[in-house]
Amino acid sequence: MLKKQKNMNWVMTLLKGRTFLILAVLVVFFSFASPNFFTINTGLTVAKHVALYGIMGIGMTFVIITGGIDLSVGAVAGFAGMIAGGLINEGLKIGFLGITIYFSVPWVILISALCGVLIGWLNGIIITKFRVAPFIATLGTMNVARGLANLRSNGATFSNIVGKKPLGNTGFDILGQSFLGIPAGVIILIIIAIIAAILLKSTSFGWHIFAIGGNEKAAKLSGVKVAKDTTIVYMFSGLCSAIVGMIAAAQLVASHPATGEGWEMNAISAAVLGGTSMAGGIGSVGGTIIGAFIIGVINDGMTMCGVSEFWQKVIKGIVVIAAVVVDQFQRNLQAKIALQARNAQ
Amino acid sequence: MKRKVLSILLCAAMVVTMAVGCGKKDTSSSEKKETKTETKTKDEVLPGGGSKIIYVITPSTSNTFFETEAKICTAEAKKLGYTVKAMSHDDDATKQMQQFESAIDDKAAAIICDNAGADATIEAVKAARKAGIPTFLIDREINEEGVAISQIVANNYQGAKGVAEVFVKAMGEKGNYVELLGKESDTNAGVRSSAFHEVIDQYKNMKMVAQQAANWEQTEAYDKMGTILQSHPNIDGVICGNDTMLCGAVAALEDAGLAGIPVIGVDGSDDARDLILQGKATATALQQAAEISRMAVKQADDYLKNGKTGLDEKQLVDCIVITKDNASKLKAFDLSK
Repeated sequence: MLKKQKNMNWVMTLLKGRTFLILAVLVVFFSFASPNFFTINTGLTVAKHVALYGIMGIGMTFVIITGGIDLSVGAVAGFAGMIAGGLINEGLKIGFLGITIYFSVPWVILISALCGVLIGWLNGIIITKFRVAPFIATLGTMNVARGLANLRSNGATFSNIVGKKPLGNTGFDILGQSFLGIPAGVIILIIIAIIAAILLKSTSFGWHIFAIGGNEKAAKLSGVKVAKDTTIVYMFSGLCSAIVGMIAAAQLVASHPATGEGWEMNAISAAVLGGTSMAGGIGSVGGTIIGAFIIGVINDGMTMCGVSEFWQKVIKGIVVIAAVVVDQFQRNLQAKIALQARNAQ
Repeated sequence: MKRKVLSILLCAAMVVTMAVGCGKKDTSSSEKKETKTETKTKDEVLPGGGSKIIYVITPSTSNTFFETEAKICTAEAKKLGYTVKAMSHDDDATKQMQQFESAIDDKAAAIICDNAGADATIEAVKAARKAGIPTFLIDREINEEGVAISQIVANNYQGAKGVAEVFVKAMGEKGNYVELLGKESDTNAGVRSSAFHEVIDQYKNMKMVAQQAANWEQTEAYDKMGTILQSHPNIDGVICGNDTMLCGAVAALEDAGLAGIPVIGVDGSDDARDLILQGKATATALQQAAEISRMAVKQADDYLKNGKTGLDEKQLVDCIVITKDNASKLKAFDLSK
């Protein structure tokens, strides 16, 4: 009996570290498959790409922990990018005064980020006050944000968003550059990850959102302000997406209204691969970042191996499903172990 | 409420510290650096990344046009001894940028790309140039010269004029016709339409009774054509901005019992070819995707071997007018000799 339990514990550790294992296996595999994969340069490139999914994934992790989902993230990224690009290239036109205000870059970033937060707030209000299911609410705001992104320029691209010296709004493109070889996106990812991890693990707010995801009614009865906390979570997700949109725009030195189409899938996949439970109540920032790395390594690895895009989609889909299946398996096993431990006593 | 405001401020503060933290580096110096490297590389011969790999990046190959590009580029480059990695950017400029970066890490010799946006692609091509990798653009241009080595695109204007002439002849230089336009935000829609009218408007007895945008789409063209036929049941011909809309228009004409009247398009798709052979459409202008791809591979090879292509950066490839006479030779955007 005891021996069997020990075996099970061993399986459990293996299961718990599985995301890391998958990542390691993938890296080893692609290193053999493509000779230029296991280099510092490729590592930095992968990290740069991962930053986009990772930041978005962190916001998504918070949302999924509350038991919700945010489909608007990709569209919000596109929208924020368009706001930033528009403010730099065209400024803010105030019609009735006949003047155009150009903001300096920190203000541009702040305003664009607030636009993302605003859509997040809208998500939160629709979900908590009007009791619309998160899937539907964010599906709606996804279309709204995408439409607004296109409306900002009538479908056109804001090109060369570097600003002009005389207007004092140069420097936006630094978000897409590297410092001492480290891409700005990666630095931002690290900062956000640290803040998010602290929020989630060491603050009452963090405990509250776990409680909401675990059992909303119980959380409410024990004094958690469910509506308020849920809304903040969606605002945080909107903020993360807006930041991603700005980084993406800075990398291209252009804002394109279609930026971020389909990225919600990458964000959800990163969270789920990282062990976040779609049922809510379970998830971690570290897990999501590893999940994002898995997606990044698969993307870039398959690109460098010349795998066709159709196969890439199939493989990515299978990896995500496999992750969830193993997740279920782990949970069942955990319950079994707990039961055995109780019986042994 | 107070707390809500507080939380917003907190988020804002986070962003600002981030912006400031990243913004510390003197922007003017980084700008200077950039212009310097640009002038330095302008006339420099790009040696390639060091490997014999050519990256072929196109829009989704679920469209035959791009499938042809990817296939021909792959086959031609392999013939010349290169390893080819073909992929699709799905019209996502960020994904395209990531693929360019992977190509750079992979030490690609050259990149052949049908790009994801005239403005949003410039930075990716610049990054490749900085890494010494030459880029050859096909089918779509970018809004900057001197970054890519070649920009080889189909001559939409000449092609549209060519089919318009066939259209006028088929109409007997007179009659009422309808025009279906492409997406208004796409410059090609305007170019093709003005080329059509430059030819057709010379004939006084040719009269346009309706003009509608069907956004390049087959279903939309079918619906719009159906509506137009309600108010103008006696039209004598239709001109379409592309072949996809041509297919939609022909289907609507068939419903109305008007199959066989002159209909023209632009692209040279296999669907349009079949309709021409069946006598349901008159002509289309073939954009030579296969030929353009062959040219790109050849120029990439020349450039890597000799340091120059010997040609201008911007190259227009004439379209070929496809009618009943040569339609049977057309397959997958390639006209067999």
